[in-house]
Amino acid sequence: MIGVIVHDTYWVFWREMKKLVRQKSRIMMAVVQPVVWLVLMGNTMAGLTSNPVAAKMLGTGNYLDFMTPGVMVMTALFGGVFGGMSILWDRRLGFLNKMLAAPIHRAAIPVGKLAALTVQTVFQALLIMLIGLLLGVHISTGILGIGFLLAMVGLFGVIMGGVSLSLAAMLKSHEALMAIMNFFTMPLVFTSNAMFPTRAMPEWLRAIADANPLSYAVGPMRTVATRGWVWQEIWPGALVLVIIAVVTTSILVRQFHRSVA
Amino acid sequence: MSEIIEAQGLAKIFPGGIKAVDGVSFSVAEGEIFGFLGPNGAGKSTTIAMLTTLLKPTGGTARVAGMDITRQAYNVRLAIGYVSQDLAVDDALTGYENLRLQAGFYHIPRGEIAKRIDEVLEMVGLKNRAKDLVETYSGGMRKRLDIACGLIHRPKLLFLDEPTLGLDIQTRREIWNYINQLRAEAKMTIFLTTHYMDEADALCDRIAIIDRGSIKVLDTPAGLKSSLGSEIVVFEFAKGGPEDINAALNKIRGLGFVKDVTKAGGKGYVASVTNGEASVPAIFDALSGFAAKIGSISFKQPSLDDVFLHYTGREIRENGGGKEDAVRARMVMRRMRR
Repeated sequence: MIGVIVHDTYWVFWREMKKLVRQKSRIMMAVVQPVVWLVLMGNTMAGLTSNPVAAKMLGTGNYLDFMTPGVMVMTALFGGVFGGMSILWDRRLGFLNKMLAAPIHRAAIPVGKLAALTVQTVFQALLIMLIGLLLGVHISTGILGIGFLLAMVGLFGVIMGGVSLSLAAMLKSHEALMAIMNFFTMPLVFTSNAMFPTRAMPEWLRAIADANPLSYAVGPMRTVATRGWVWQEIWPGALVLVIIAVVTTSILVRQFHRSVA
Repeated sequence: MSEIIEAQGLAKIFPGGIKAVDGVSFSVAEGEIFGFLGPNGAGKSTTIAMLTTLLKPTGGTARVAGMDITRQAYNVRLAIGYVSQDLAVDDALTGYENLRLQAGFYHIPRGEIAKRIDEVLEMVGLKNRAKDLVETYSGGMRKRLDIACGLIHRPKLLFLDEPTLGLDIQTRREIWNYINQLRAEAKMTIFLTTHYMDEADALCDRIAIIDRGSIKVLDTPAGLKSSLGSEIVVFEFAKGGPEDINAALNKIRGLGFVKDVTKAGGKGYVASVTNGEASVPAIFDALSGFAAKIGSISFKQPSLDDVFLHYTGREIRENGGGKEDAVRARMVMRRMRR
């Protein structure tokens, strides 16, 4: 039984990867925007943050070091929210019905798509990481730390992809998915610790930022990137992220089963 | 011969109360080419969707290849092939990759895969284009690839939903050839839907005419045509006043093989007859001494168009679905034209 699910999931994943490899330009474009953020905003802010007060708020003297984990997660957010589109396209082109008429385990379709989406997200995050390193970003924990950063981005990608794919299965309309996801992305970024330290925020905004799933991802990543393996700051965020990922993935499988298959 | 499809009162009522399929019962014998003929929106695709386990019926049951479509859905899926009207091939993959994917979905043993793919590519004549991306294919080639996908696991039963929708005449003929070939060589049973009369006539052993969710009549094409009873003679008077024509018509009505004469506009008339093409010279001879002269006369057998008109009271017509359906239909047509 498990073997069958893995086999079917692999083939759904295989198709998505084939498509992905042929859309190199799209993957690159998805990286361009965050890099622009990194270069423009990173350098602008560097002038503002090169003083002891700011360094205390950021937890590091270098704004680029502070910002890079946030930009990586932001890319995962932007990539993930539109992940649901692939289900909608498959529905519109009739490919979804073709897969449903085949003896494929029902969970294999959403899970295979989610896996491909996560691989894409991690790959994009890796590109940003590499460009960040070229721009002089310093990761205090070295190669292992980079691995941890990518794992966290992947986990966050699983969550966003799961939400987007669930909504796509439920809504059945491109326009509705775009509208909902566009509505949430920017507020999610700016009510989190991705761009600015929560210590600089007013009380009410800090409360929101502390509950924002983005912060749970960025917090531990930033700790690992700028301060080292401070476990008491790492594991709570990572654990919350794992739990949310499990929940969103189960919701996805159930929602897909209910709305589509 | 055993039955490969048995449907009993199969019904689908969508949320909102739309009766897409209103209790259809029929059976399809092994080795048969069975056609559902009806206009768009008649319930053909909904019926196929239920038989291929894509939709759960809201009433009735059906057994496909001996298995229940709701309780044994997985086994039904293994046994059947399904080619939708959507042209559901992936443009971003090559023809070969589309088939490789399909072989994966159907759990074809690893050692068999290359042979199977070769076999179906050969059949639909796409061997030399297999390595090209599907986005470079024409509409007809996409359709052929889609059919090849439906054949990779050698199903006993193949569902073809509107197999020639939007294709040019030459490609339609090709598809018809494949369908006949599949039945002859692979002993495959084929269930197809169409809204083309000539297609149903040319391919099907039996046809069910479906309209507004229910089967109006089910018979062989020949049986359907003869169910209209008579053959018809269409003729038109070239000269003669109204009295002359009336006298001539009375003479024709008096002939033993003429059942009925009705006016068909101007000086044209339609007579239903019982003795076939011999009616034409017979009518001509009968009027030899009359002032009214016949200008043109021809013998016709009722076509499936006439049959459809007779059983549904209207011509096959276009019918709108939801917005998403309309978008999908437009996309299919656009992909076809390439």
